[in-house]
Amino acid sequence: MEMRSGDEAAFRQVYEQVFPVVMRVAFHVTYNMDVSEDICQDAFIRFFDKNMVFQTMDDAKFWLIRVTKNLAINHVKRKAREAASMEKLKQVTPTSSYKDGASELLFQETTENVRKAVSQLSEKYKTVIVLKEYAGLDYQQIGKVLNISESNVKVRVHRARKELEALLGMEN
Amino acid sequence: MCLDDQILNTYLDNELAEPWKSQVEEHLSYCSACKERFEQLKALKQTLQSAALTDEEIAPRQENVLRMISNTRFNTKRASFLRRQFKISIPAFATIAAAFVFVFVGAILHINNGSGNDFIPAAMDSAVDETNVSLVSDAGPAKTIYEYSPSLEEVLDYLDSLGYTVSVTKKGVEPFTFD
Repeated sequence: MEMRSGDEAAFRQVYEQVFPVVMRVAFHVTYNMDVSEDICQDAFIRFFDKNMVFQTMDDAKFWLIRVTKNLAINHVKRKAREAASMEKLKQVTPTSSYKDGASELLFQETTENVRKAVSQLSEKYKTVIVLKEYAGLDYQQIGKVLNISESNVKVRVHRARKELEALLGMEN
Repeated sequence: MCLDDQILNTYLDNELAEPWKSQVEEHLSYCSACKERFEQLKALKQTLQSAALTDEEIAPRQENVLRMISNTRFNTKRASFLRRQFKISIPAFATIAAAFVFVFVGAILHINNGSGNDFIPAAMDSAVDETNVSLVSDAGPAKTIYEYSPSLEEVLDYLDSLGYTVSVTKKGVEPFTFD
């Protein structure tokens, strides 16, 4: 199914399906909702304006994920240069659907810890873990997006989890 | 021989191909140490995924971005076309307007500064003084038909010749009578 990204009907179809994925990628790299929204907007506008031809929906999706990931990484780098990224990350107050006070507190604490840990990973591992856990891509797809081999993805996932385990105090 | 973390992670991610997948499953069925380690890795994965951005959090953002893109890209296709046309027409229009102004201003300047005297009759080129200029009133009253004043007799004769009977009275004067 060949599609053109500047075609409104095709664009809407891709948008509906891919927006949640790229929003998660942007968010779990930047951990800032407003910045993530801006990044996604930027990515989809580029997607539309470039009016590219994609052979499959997955090709369009991978293009969007790659652009979003790059924009998000660039943002984090810029913020790091401004030496303000960690302070902002500490202010993240995630929302949840939990109504019970105790479990909500536990949920927020866990969520905050996890997000903090992910943000502490090096760019190489963070990207792989975000694409794996939050974008739902498999090893082959991650390799395609990052332009690395599948076995390289496998190694990075393993090492990233090892680091996260240590950061979260879950190691044996 | 027990399984290392990388194999367990690969199995956890459902990325292990056969026959290794079956071999790992078989090993996990009897090796409690590997089973325990597998459960730890599974818990880590679940913990990571529990911190994922929810669909409810994404939905309003998705609407915002689509609204913005719709406004600037979809609904304004006609407007953008016109805008493009307008962009093209601005320089062309400006050029024409500039040329028009140039021609007009040039013409006016030419008339005023250059051979503008061509507009004035040649007779006026010579020195103008009292010898060739005089008041019209100096030449005496002009003879126009409106200024011709016939005498009363001439008027009466003229009317008589046309067959009218004319009586003439002098207003404000008592008739002279001889008693």
